Amino acid sequence: MNPQRISSRRRSLMLGAAAAGATALTQPLSVLAQGAEEIILGGSIPMTGVFAFAGIGINAGIQDYLKIVNDAGGVKGRKIKYVPEDTGYKVDVSVATFKKITSQNKVNLYYGDSTGFAKTINPELDRNGNILMTGASFATELNDPKKYPNQFMVGPDYTEMFGILLNHIAKEKPGAKVAFVYSDSEFGRDPIESSEALAKKLGLSVPIKIMTPAGSVDVSTEVIKLRRAAPDYTIFHGYILAPIPEFISQGKQQGMTSKWMGTFWTMDSSTVMKMGEVGDGFMGVMPFRYYYDTEKAPMLEKIRAMRSEYQSTAYIQGFLATMLFTESVKRCLDAGKPLTGPNLKAALNTLKDFDTGGLIGVPITISGNSIPVGRVYKADMKAQKMVAASDWIKL
Amino acid sequence: MRIGTLKESYVADAALFDSRTQHAWLAIATALLLLFPFMASDYWLYMACLVAINVASSTGLNILTGYTGLVSLGQAAFMGLGAYTVAILQTRYGTPFLLNLLAGGVVAMLGGIVVGIPSLRVKGLYLAIATIAASFITHFLFANLRITGGTGGLSLPPARIFGLDLDTSFRLYWLIVPVMVLMLLGAANLFRTRIGRAFIAIRDRDISAEVLGIPLLRYKLLSFGLSSFYAGVAGGLWAYFFRVVTPESFPLSMSIFFLAAIIVGGMGSILGGILGAVFMTLVPELLKLVFDWLPGGADLTVFLSPVRLIVFGALIIGFLVFEPLGLAEMWRRTRRFFHLWPFRN
Repeated sequence: MNPQRISSRRRSLMLGAAAAGATALTQPLSVLAQGAEEIILGGSIPMTGVFAFAGIGINAGIQDYLKIVNDAGGVKGRKIKYVPEDTGYKVDVSVATFKKITSQNKVNLYYGDSTGFAKTINPELDRNGNILMTGASFATELNDPKKYPNQFMVGPDYTEMFGILLNHIAKEKPGAKVAFVYSDSEFGRDPIESSEALAKKLGLSVPIKIMTPAGSVDVSTEVIKLRRAAPDYTIFHGYILAPIPEFISQGKQQGMTSKWMGTFWTMDSSTVMKMGEVGDGFMGVMPFRYYYDTEKAPMLEKIRAMRSEYQSTAYIQGFLATMLFTESVKRCLDAGKPLTGPNLKAALNTLKDFDTGGLIGVPITISGNSIPVGRVYKADMKAQKMVAASDWIKL
Repeated sequence: MRIGTLKESYVADAALFDSRTQHAWLAIATALLLLFPFMASDYWLYMACLVAINVASSTGLNILTGYTGLVSLGQAAFMGLGAYTVAILQTRYGTPFLLNLLAGGVVAMLGGIVVGIPSLRVKGLYLAIATIAASFITHFLFANLRITGGTGGLSLPPARIFGLDLDTSFRLYWLIVPVMVLMLLGAANLFRTRIGRAFIAIRDRDISAEVLGIPLLRYKLLSFGLSSFYAGVAGGLWAYFFRVVTPESFPLSMSIFFLAAIIVGGMGSILGGILGAVFMTLVPELLKLVFDWLPGGADLTVFLSPVRLIVFGALIIGFLVFEPLGLAEMWRRTRRFFHLWPFRN
């Protein structure tokens, strides 16, 4: 066959592709029809990529809470529709997703997937004026209502997480030596400087701060440095799991007696349990109750009734984010105000001693962009569970 | 050869667009580019701007890798240099954005020339590995220098012209797309000059090129410089587009993205750079649209997202297996078909 010849099959394939492309390009050019009463919750959700483990849980949490709300008739008769799309945890794709969802729907609520996205989309949120956003980021920078007036975070920011841990340490062992081990990333470096100052204020000392590459595996030289500093507590931040087990395992082998701690994204039960025996006693800050907690929590009971298998802390985060979104919408509608970003945020900031149904063990008040509450949990490898190691700590 | 096209001079033979049909198509393409912002939604305008930035950067890499045969994995780092230069100039000195873009290109060019020095001794994969160093060094500098804002990076105000903020995709389109078109024309014309021909000679056989009187040192570094200039300007546009620049904005995977774009599109072809960047940027989004049509809505998204990635990967492999010369060759074949029409051969 002559290679220059285009067969009829290839021609029809080309025509088919062109037709499909034309339809695809023209379809989202107009805002699609939607029920006038529906409230849209858009989502740039990382269902693939490095953060998919959390995105899938967040997605399920949002869906489940909306099911509860919509099955009960919605918010003042208005149902909330969830429009998610996968981002692969890439900022440019997240922004494209935002543009796509907001082009096709009149969006009032949005869930974003990263600090980069939250920062990038902020001017767009301000210009749009109709959207309240939260997301998976707990970056300290976002906890600034002046700079980020239409955003909030579902939990304490990273500096506040360190604050909760340091408060716990100062109470448990006054004057203790605390080491910080963190990744060389925006996520990792976020709370370090401010937390060192806080540690000093609380009478604690920080004998060593170790920064490792984000994906590092061989940490033997860092462990030697850490052992020399002989900390009473070591706080890891900016990692999900690796290289924390390596640090603990080698540290224990070298006779270290430090207690090991982590922050939110390490603290999901399934993540900690992956550490195996070396993770026994691993502690960390968690703003939410775990799926299997036995303390009284009606909302956890509802979750357990909906899903019989373990749900991650990312799920609880998505679930609670949607609860707070819904409450803001409800308060806004009750006050007869239009659903704009500033109105929704103002409604959110009226939350005082709000009961989350036990997802957070104490009533919460959101006066700024964060919920500065958390609790220290500890891994019990025999029971394969995280158990409470402190009371709820409010900053 | 197009039927009925007669060249009577060398100038006509070397023309970029050599027939009435091409001129007509060019006019149609220009009209479409001019009309597009008035017809498209914010989403498609965003995608158009993103594609244009990626086309500019891919074209730069194509000059280096496709035309000069020097494999580089430093394109994202050079974009970062351009983006940070623009961000620093804009936030600290408030200089005009066109000047900032130019400065971004120049700083990236200088970076490119430094990184290109090993190309005098090593080639192929060895050079690719050497250029990876650019990613790590620039990341370290961006994350640790005070002027770059550390790990939090820099947020910059929108570009401003005649009192108008270029803060929406619609407005930015009129900056990004014309700059991209200028860069494409520049690249296309480059290969009608001695410099461009020298690049091709170096790619085909560098020793022979030197025998022919082409100084390798000058031309290899020039290629690195030009390529990085393109990346720097593209990075500057990127900075104005996203308005937040952090050390994590330009990862190594971004360099791989551009390398993949020119391989899929067709190395050593301006059209290849364009088609590759369009393919790599738009196909994942178009696949999302296709998957959106499937019933199930939000419930199925979580299951379909990985499938979509698999389909995208399979498409890339498919193109490479069935058309190793890239999308540009498919386009050429399609054109040839119409050139010869109604004859079959």
